[in-house]
Amino acid sequence: MRAECRRGLATVIAGILPILAAAASPSALAAPAGAAPAGAAAASARGTANSEEMSTALLMSPSQYRLTIADVFGDSIKVNGRFEPDQREQGLLAIGARTDNISDNSLESYADLASDIAAQVVDARHREELIGCQPRSENGRDDDCARVFFARVGPLLYRQPLTVDQVQAQVTAAGIAADKLHDFYGGISDTLAEMLISPRFLFRYKIMEPDPQHPGRERMNAYAKATELSYFLWNTTPDEKLLQAAASGEIQTRAGLERQVDRLISSERIQDGIRAFFADMLGFADFAAVSKDPSFFPLFVPSIKDEAQEQTLRTIVDHIVNRHGDYRDLFTTPHTFLTDDLATLYDVPLVDMSDNGQPQPWLAYTYPPGDSHAGILSEASFTTLWSPSGRTSPTVRGKALRENILCEKVPPPPGNVSFKFVEDTGNPQYRTTRARLMAHRTEPLCAGCHKLTDPIGLALEDFDAAGEYRTTENGVPIDASGELNGKQFVGAIGLGEAVHDDPAATNCVAQKAFAFETGYIPPRDDPRWREIQQRFAGSHYQVLELLRAIALSDLSYAAPAEGGALAAANH
Amino acid sequence: MKSKIKVWTRRRVLRGMLAGSAITVGLPILDCVLNDNGTAFADTGALIPTRFVSWFWGLGIGEQEWWPKTAGADYELPWELGAIKPFKKRLNLFSGSQVFLDGNTNRTHFTGIQGHMTGKVTSSDDYFNSMDAIIADTISARTRFRSLVATCDGDSKSTWTAFASGKVPAEVSPAALYARIFGPGFTDPNAATFVPDPAVMVKRSVLSTINEDRADLLKNLPAGDRARLDYYFTALRSLEQRLDIELQKPPPLPACSKPEQPKDDGHSIFLATDAMVRHDLFCALMTHALACDQTRVANLNVSQSQSALRQAGDPTTHHSYTHEEPIDAKLGYQVQCSWFQQRYFQGLYNYAAMLDAVKEGDRSLLDRSILYAYTDHGAPRLHSVRNYPFITIGDGNGRIRTGMHFPTPGDTAIRVPFTIMQAMGVPISSWGTNSNHVTSPVSGVLA
Amino acid sequence: MKLNQILPHGNVRRHIFKTTVAAAIVFAPLMLAPSPASAETRGYVISWFATATNNPDFVQNCPKAAGDLHRLKFGAAANGQLQNGNTGDRDHALVNGKPVPPLDYPDAVVKDPNQETVVGKYAYGFDLGGPAANKFIDPETHEKVDDQLWRAIGCANNFQQTPPSMPYTEGLGWNALIDSAPGWAMQITGTDLSKDGPVTVTLDRTMRHLDRDALGAVRSNDSYVLDPDPRSHNVLSGEIRDGVLTIKPAYIYIESTMPFYSQIDLKDAHMRIRSAAGGKLLGYWGGYTDWHKWAYMYSSRPANSDPVGYYRALEKLADADPDPVTGRNRLISTTWRMEAVPAFLAAADGKILAVASSAGLGGRVHALDVAENRASSEPSTGTKSAQ
Repeated sequence: MRAECRRGLATVIAGILPILAAAASPSALAAPAGAAPAGAAAASARGTANSEEMSTALLMSPSQYRLTIADVFGDSIKVNGRFEPDQREQGLLAIGARTDNISDNSLESYADLASDIAAQVVDARHREELIGCQPRSENGRDDDCARVFFARVGPLLYRQPLTVDQVQAQVTAAGIAADKLHDFYGGISDTLAEMLISPRFLFRYKIMEPDPQHPGRERMNAYAKATELSYFLWNTTPDEKLLQAAASGEIQTRAGLERQVDRLISSERIQDGIRAFFADMLGFADFAAVSKDPSFFPLFVPSIKDEAQEQTLRTIVDHIVNRHGDYRDLFTTPHTFLTDDLATLYDVPLVDMSDNGQPQPWLAYTYPPGDSHAGILSEASFTTLWSPSGRTSPTVRGKALRENILCEKVPPPPGNVSFKFVEDTGNPQYRTTRARLMAHRTEPLCAGCHKLTDPIGLALEDFDAAGEYRTTENGVPIDASGELNGKQFVGAIGLGEAVHDDPAATNCVAQKAFAFETGYIPPRDDPRWREIQQRFAGSHYQVLELLRAIALSDLSYAAPAEGGALAAANH
Repeated sequence: MKSKIKVWTRRRVLRGMLAGSAITVGLPILDCVLNDNGTAFADTGALIPTRFVSWFWGLGIGEQEWWPKTAGADYELPWELGAIKPFKKRLNLFSGSQVFLDGNTNRTHFTGIQGHMTGKVTSSDDYFNSMDAIIADTISARTRFRSLVATCDGDSKSTWTAFASGKVPAEVSPAALYARIFGPGFTDPNAATFVPDPAVMVKRSVLSTINEDRADLLKNLPAGDRARLDYYFTALRSLEQRLDIELQKPPPLPACSKPEQPKDDGHSIFLATDAMVRHDLFCALMTHALACDQTRVANLNVSQSQSALRQAGDPTTHHSYTHEEPIDAKLGYQVQCSWFQQRYFQGLYNYAAMLDAVKEGDRSLLDRSILYAYTDHGAPRLHSVRNYPFITIGDGNGRIRTGMHFPTPGDTAIRVPFTIMQAMGVPISSWGTNSNHVTSPVSGVLA
Repeated sequence: MKLNQILPHGNVRRHIFKTTVAAAIVFAPLMLAPSPASAETRGYVISWFATATNNPDFVQNCPKAAGDLHRLKFGAAANGQLQNGNTGDRDHALVNGKPVPPLDYPDAVVKDPNQETVVGKYAYGFDLGGPAANKFIDPETHEKVDDQLWRAIGCANNFQQTPPSMPYTEGLGWNALIDSAPGWAMQITGTDLSKDGPVTVTLDRTMRHLDRDALGAVRSNDSYVLDPDPRSHNVLSGEIRDGVLTIKPAYIYIESTMPFYSQIDLKDAHMRIRSAAGGKLLGYWGGYTDWHKWAYMYSSRPANSDPVGYYRALEKLADADPDPVTGRNRLISTTWRMEAVPAFLAAADGKILAVASSAGLGGRVHALDVAENRASSEPSTGTKSAQ
């Protein structure tokens, strides 16, 4: 997490407002930059190939929502409440964001969040800073003051200029509400809450427009492009400079885009984008339902759930941003960060010199040579997330690795399978998970798929369902030998090396990073996609270079249907 | 894929209410048309609504021959269902039916439910328009909540309710469900006075700003986005309707009372015993919500279909036991699996008893309802999609006969939910696809 | 600070200790200076510490209390008055003829409540060489035991607890202590702790409080830095024989924090400790302690028994160190039961001094459960606790 305090664009936006207000055109969702007529954009948007069936809009994720609110209003405005869970599609919530619909329940949740946020914005502590003017009276409407507020905040929430009519609609609604409530701020609050559940705020749209540089072709509208770029690299709404680059048309030039991408990547806030991407790729949203039975796993204290995710995200950010490391080394790196809780779970000493009563600090830690831990697969974020509450499942771990790390699809289990070979855990013949699974795999129907998953998961049997290191199961020494795509190894160290050497790993992270930005799997045969892959490889698989290549590629801003890649691309 | 939904059928007329002056106070809840043969409230003459209550449990009844050998009223309830025996005359047991796969893979714990809850078997994750949602659109569209869905295992993904927009996550916390139903938005129908809340009035009027922006928004969007936003605007309409209802004086409901506020915050749970404690809290909330006509469709899931619930001190989940536990040679069934099932069915009994304890006129809330119990697999050890058990309790305001065993060996399981949908007044004459297509109900069920 | 920067052979994981002794010996030069050149040191923190009780024998220990439905553990004379709401003279203390608060001046309390004291045969502890008339028998070792403190307070309601429950007042203090005040650490050093042989036991305080696991017990395998303050640093000579650790009698002093004991001050200290599953230790510390301090610990916080009665009983049964002026004994024999869990222990400079190990001392693992331990010993009285 970045330590810096977000003051909120809404408090510092005086410089950008006139530009956006001036650019406002009569009726456009996304007014094109400069003088391009709105009508042209509309016409071309309707004509986009293949768009008759598939929506390309992306629903904001919970983490994007939180960061966006913090960026617009400052981080003293808290997002209190819950989000309906998102759907994961093809291994990413970001792809699900393209198909998720808003249901009764989710709109109810958004409305609750919005009311609470809006009430905070106008409360006595924030109103002076965030409203930007004093109403003539607090007991009724003041359209002028309301207009100041909505003209400033509207473009930030909708990520584009607002028309005079759009601002006026909010001013009118706020005025009527203020009169009825005899409360200026109540009117502002209710109207702001309405904007926060508007589909203009909750969805991001890929609006295309004719490309003046290439007649007959389309390009993404500048504001849509700025928005996509910002949510990709920073996981939040465009900042002032990015909106200005959209307004001026700078972002539509190669040099201008490079300037913005380099600025975003070199910022400390790139961490937010990296964290959001890897949290999505590694399936961390599923931690919400993780629980471990303390009677079996007393070291799995409740805070481990958060700390396990944080350990891996810290490790990843450190590796990518600070060490400029090779992506593949994430699976073998001995460098990580631990808390006292995690060190205890991992059974390693961690000397914490902080005073008695202080919260646990995060300490950099390097596993010594020969240790059983190395790489993010040995961390609790992987071993506990992909285990049931009472015992391990090598099948689940293996499937998670194949699907999340290697982008390979594991078929579902067949129906009507006989499990007659599998006996109870108390059977002295099958005291270890390995023995039970091996018995199961004598069933030919099952063997095909279990061969894909189990040899991976069995290499992690050194780690119990709560992520604690162990050497025996039911008194029998654990055999942690495994296999991945023909390579034999032992334990998490060997597994990490095998994943490191598997070309599917780098291909997978590239695909998923692209999908994290765009909401769809890249078209494999498009030369622009191959160029992204080459740039990634040429950088020795530095993730920042991958992000840069994606952010600069035309493919990312092309109409998604161009590559026909909206359908599942099983790799 | 969700975005492939092509047809938008239920768009409603939107009303502009910017000035707020259109807000009126009236008695509209019961003025909607109900295909209802039920009796009326003694004091108001209004019809007593029919309710649908679904209850999902994972992993069937057992591998053994649990089904009764005789059909009709003169049958012996299987010992496995002993917990609900007190309701034998008021329940039906359906056995023997199957979900036809038509060449699709049986994705265990999913495909069977996909088939009998949505009428379609596909090879994908498609799951839209579950039968409870279709019923909700028919009987509950004008209540505060189209339907409610909750799960006892702490995982909001444990849900089988889906409208056209997709699956509805289950509420995991009794405390949160209480707040949703009986929190500030709740109006006591039996209160002596009713004053519409000006704050709600204002919220309702401000919402119309989004509707006014609708045309402007949609005109620049690709068709795919426009179709998708239709779901958004449906949800918005529901939100508006909820506020409308809060602004209207509800008719008195003598059976309505606020339940005790539960403390359970929906934390992670892994023991079956803990889940069933939470289960009863949810049952109480659902019962009160139905009695107060906050919704007419309540859905409760004991757990996800691959029940990860366990016994204290035992690392093996119910689901793992279905695979790994040998059938006891003497007893003829899986002993550990049976332990779980007994607890679940005790929960079903508790639910029915709670509904039955609420009196509406001359009959109980249970009598006004169909409590519909369904599961993911017929034979859990084999995870088969054959020989499904379905249980109904209550006659739905006299719409179905009860006290019967209906064996339909070899028939499609889709016929059972189809029958129940017809009983609930859903205007459909056929349902299901391919081998699971049905045009007639299970013979002898409808009254 | 990263430990592996300090340890050249950084693999200090406990499975190494399970599987190879050689790996552990590598660390020897890094450990305690006084240790022999080739040694291993295991670290622990005390996870349970309270007066050793023996309540399965309650009926034999305290026949009057056992027969009293109200379970009020006072002298028979005072009992009737209490039930009538009349505390009699017990709460009246006079100094120079003026009434004073009885807990502040227990010596001045007018009437001794004559609290019932233990008359049973068994108690846990050690033979400290006291008079034969005072002796108990240890249920496990069948050796003679001096434990006059248990005799004095063992019939009080407060002490009718059997492990893992602690006596009420000690339990309250302990639970407050471990969440907020520094813990107590123990190091055991020997050439090969998987075998019998001589060992060094070192006691210290930790710099910070202990952590709990998901069940609320003190957590195993945590890391702690030792307090360099020499006041609580104790180095004891001992040996492991048949998997049981004992020490040569010594003086132990460890600082602690109210509302638990303000210090553990044990003269002629004995220890008997063995390993249970998971590397846990279970054992007893016995010796002589200052009964005034003990009484202060007890009376300084709410209790549902009679602190004055305790005070008088302790005074009467104190069995060592007569005051040269008054002739009254200042010390009393006692036994504490303790448990400890494996921990990594580091010096203030970050150097690892001891590692967490799940292996048993002397290669032996014993049952933790009290009943199981007793089952292997001579049956005591065969009665269940009257609780």
